[in-house]
Amino acid sequence: MGEPRHLPILLFNDECAVCRLIAGWVCRSLQSQGDAATLIVQPIGNDPAALRALNPSLDIWDAYANIHLIMPDGSMKVNGEAVAETLRRTPATRWLAPCFNWQFFGRRPLQAILNVAYSALSDIRPLLGCESCGIPSLWLRPFHWMALTLRGKTATRNHSAVSSQTIRR
Amino acid sequence: MPVAMDFVTPVTAENFNELVLRTNIPVVAEFMSYGCEHCRLLEPVLQKVAEKLGSRELIFRVNIATEQTLADRYQIEGTPTLVMFWKGVEIGRAIGPDPSMQALWDAVTSPFEGLSQNG
Repeated sequence: MGEPRHLPILLFNDECAVCRLIAGWVCRSLQSQGDAATLIVQPIGNDPAALRALNPSLDIWDAYANIHLIMPDGSMKVNGEAVAETLRRTPATRWLAPCFNWQFFGRRPLQAILNVAYSALSDIRPLLGCESCGIPSLWLRPFHWMALTLRGKTATRNHSAVSSQTIRR
Repeated sequence: MPVAMDFVTPVTAENFNELVLRTNIPVVAEFMSYGCEHCRLLEPVLQKVAEKLGSRELIFRVNIATEQTLADRYQIEGTPTLVMFWKGVEIGRAIGPDPSMQALWDAVTSPFEGLSQNG
């Protein structure tokens, strides 16, 4: 399992322009406040074994499909829960975090809204120029087709086009 | 998507020639990327196909994010792309095969039909 960690690790897809942008914002926010480190922001990478060392049930395919936050105790938060925890640990958004724990009849409505917002953002990533985010949801496919056409690319079936830019990072 | 056992062996530029090109067994090289959703959908099916094939045919995984020279050498334009090799020579290619057992089985076995392992 390696040496003990005291900070959560936020894994992000560095092949995705949107994910890179958000991870960059989190890093800048952490640095600008001059706070003691509260989070490690790390690209997912390409080594399945290295991820399993963080948490044995962490699969590299899942890591690329959904945002994961690995807590110091080895547990994982995914999707909207990972976003909420990241906001909680980011100085600029720390004030917002208690909202997500607010309960109403045993439910957390604001966390539910955040979960939906994360899913929506995750869905529209291919439209925002992410070559690695794969298959858009059914409702997005006409828009995705239009975006590809405008960029002069043909839509692919069962196949993610790899631009020379993606290959030669 | 936890994989109990990996039937698809990762290969790099360092051991590609030895494992893929210098063998008398039919070989399939899957050019993929972990960030590719189509590759993710294909993965469990490919594992089943590789398990079923056993030692009859070997399936290797080339991650183009780290193996750019191999991707360039074989002019990979997208993922997943399966390249079939027989005695070091490319004899077939399947670009974005359907992630179904039958389609994938056909894609990786049909190029080798009629080829003699002694020939």
